[in-house]
Amino acid sequence: MEQPVALQKRHFRSTGAGVLQEKLMIAVLAGCALLTVGITIGIVVMLIGQSWNFFQSEHVSIGEFLTGTSWTALQSRDLDNAEFGIWPLLSGTFRVTLIAMVIALPCGLVTAVYLSEFASSRVRTVLKPTLEVIAGIPTVVLGYFAILVISPGLQLFTGGAFDTFNATSAGIAVGILCLPMVCSLSEDALHAVPRSLREGAYGLGCTPFETSMKVVVPAALSGIISAFLLAFSRAIGETMVVALAAGTRATFTFDPRDQSQTMTGFIVEMIKSESEYGTVQYFSLYAVAITLFVITFGMTLLGQIIRRRYQEAYD
Amino acid sequence: MSSLPSAAGDLNLEPAPGSLGGDAAPPPISVQGASDNSRRRKLYSRLFYLLCVFISLLSVVVLVVLLASITIQGQGMLSWQLLTGAHSELHPESAGMWPSIVGSIAICGICALSALPLGIGTAIFLEEFKPTSKPLRLLHGFIQLNIANLAGVPSIVYGLLGLSLFVFMFNVFGQIQVNESAGIELMGVDRYYQVLTLAGGGHTVLIPQEDDAQATIQIDQPVMAVDSQGNEFELSVWELGTPRPTDPAEQQRTVRKGAVGGSYAQTGWNYFRLPFGRSFLAAGLTLSLVILPIVIIASQEALRSVPPSLREASFGLGATVWQTVRNVSLPAALPGILTGSILAMGRAIGEAAPVLVVLGATVAKNSGPQNMMDNVVTMPVLIFNWAGRQQATYQELAAAAIIVLLVVLLIMNSAAIYLRQKMRVDV
Repeated sequence: MEQPVALQKRHFRSTGAGVLQEKLMIAVLAGCALLTVGITIGIVVMLIGQSWNFFQSEHVSIGEFLTGTSWTALQSRDLDNAEFGIWPLLSGTFRVTLIAMVIALPCGLVTAVYLSEFASSRVRTVLKPTLEVIAGIPTVVLGYFAILVISPGLQLFTGGAFDTFNATSAGIAVGILCLPMVCSLSEDALHAVPRSLREGAYGLGCTPFETSMKVVVPAALSGIISAFLLAFSRAIGETMVVALAAGTRATFTFDPRDQSQTMTGFIVEMIKSESEYGTVQYFSLYAVAITLFVITFGMTLLGQIIRRRYQEAYD
Repeated sequence: MSSLPSAAGDLNLEPAPGSLGGDAAPPPISVQGASDNSRRRKLYSRLFYLLCVFISLLSVVVLVVLLASITIQGQGMLSWQLLTGAHSELHPESAGMWPSIVGSIAICGICALSALPLGIGTAIFLEEFKPTSKPLRLLHGFIQLNIANLAGVPSIVYGLLGLSLFVFMFNVFGQIQVNESAGIELMGVDRYYQVLTLAGGGHTVLIPQEDDAQATIQIDQPVMAVDSQGNEFELSVWELGTPRPTDPAEQQRTVRKGAVGGSYAQTGWNYFRLPFGRSFLAAGLTLSLVILPIVIIASQEALRSVPPSLREASFGLGATVWQTVRNVSLPAALPGILTGSILAMGRAIGEAAPVLVVLGATVAKNSGPQNMMDNVVTMPVLIFNWAGRQQATYQELAAAAIIVLLVVLLIMNSAAIYLRQKMRVDV
């Protein structure tokens, strides 16, 4: 077969150098991508390796760590009296997270429904940037807001029933932090619902409320649940707000007015105390970190899987 | 998606005639009950709409209250002194945040240099080089899932990773206790012994150190030394009982016999050592781990929005995949990538937890970094420190510093919006 002119000329053919360059670029880019896997492996190796030092100590046992209800790693310099039971920190974390979720999930979802179903373009031009600005506020600023406004406000309304540092003010601030995330992820999910479903609902005589709550939201449920899980994991891992506003006492209680040191709050306190490297108390922070990592990683993974697996495909 | 016709107006819930609305055709059976029913349903719908408006307004209110309260609290402390001064334990009213501004910029520079190429490279690999075989497809999906998971890892865990990986480097360069050993020094450092001379007033000369393991030196005979200007000269020794030199210049070049010198490290700007220790280099690299998933996801979205027809045209012209990426996809996606990168950098500037873990909580620093291994303070860490103190002055300082930080973020975000407008390619 006669070859085209372009291919007969050597000038136009792929040169060895060109092919090599192509392969080299692919290798470099693949290296970048594999590095992200390396980061995950690094985190796991680091956490397991360092918390191994903690569980090796004769003062600690895994059983005590997982079931104990007293945590005094920072308060007791004397190792014999130190108690390492994770539950006070876990309960602190979940108190703050629960309050945050009570605020962020309904508000975020309703705002998302409003933005996606009802809002005029004029309202959107105000609301969307507002949410983006809230999402961009550094967390340390929200922590300061919690101790400057929310906590005194709570004390004012309840006549001083709240501690200066309490789970509620930290929870509210974390809720504000998670709200834009819930909202934008849910809105994406609502957007993906095809218009024909809404038209069908309206055609059957549904009110706007029934259309959005009984048709659109269920249709986008996988995306919304995944948004909730991601927000949950974000709230659990939130650090600066709780370090500033939730207090430094690890309490095993369900009272939202009390101080509540969270897992992240404890890690920050331990770092701040400049505790000596190598002590059991120091390594306890890695045991806390691995608990934190397992919980947040599990939540995120679950959220991703739900979004991928149960996504309703509309064509 | 545009709003639905039935609720297009701000507060007008009545469906326009002919639109897909509620009571256009009531069902024929039991007309009486249905109209009751539909009145109740319409009431619910209206209430729900009002709830939506109320809750949505709530976020605007929260933002306004936040900004207003911080402005009121901090405006008294906003001054030139705040921008140029340094943290002070004793005189909070004259404290400033200049070192933290420089520190934040330095860390973000390192962060951008490492996270952006890596993140954009990964995004290109995931978006442009589609897998061809089943195992490759699995790997591709795994990397994708992994990145989504990394985005959900709390930043403080990245801080701990940075502490092990960059600050101590898993102790492969010897067991490093916190801030004790220098590890392996590669360049930019000269080690000396510092010895007091006869001139008094704390005047010292430096003697080059030959053996790193020997921490002190005792001077019994004349040796070569260096003065503070860097000139070499021979150091003479004065023994008790012999006449003491009286000329000040002579005194500055003479030490008492048996004087002991301690070791002293003079570092240049290019001082480099392994492991990095509590340096801004380590902090910047740690932050780059935090924002890497954000950069990747934003760049992927930008690349995905480039229409496939552009790529197909390029392939049709005989370009290879990499040529297509370099000449077609990447330029078309650049505005989106840049916007995402700037937003990610904004996140990095505001991030406190990982920096706190890597650099420690100390804020007593009077200047920016002096060399690559220097510790720095960043704005969020300084704010955290000030906000955690009881004194009212520090509380106000924290608010003022927050205003500065928010202004910096505002500038960055405006730059992102400007870039997005200016570089938009209409395709």
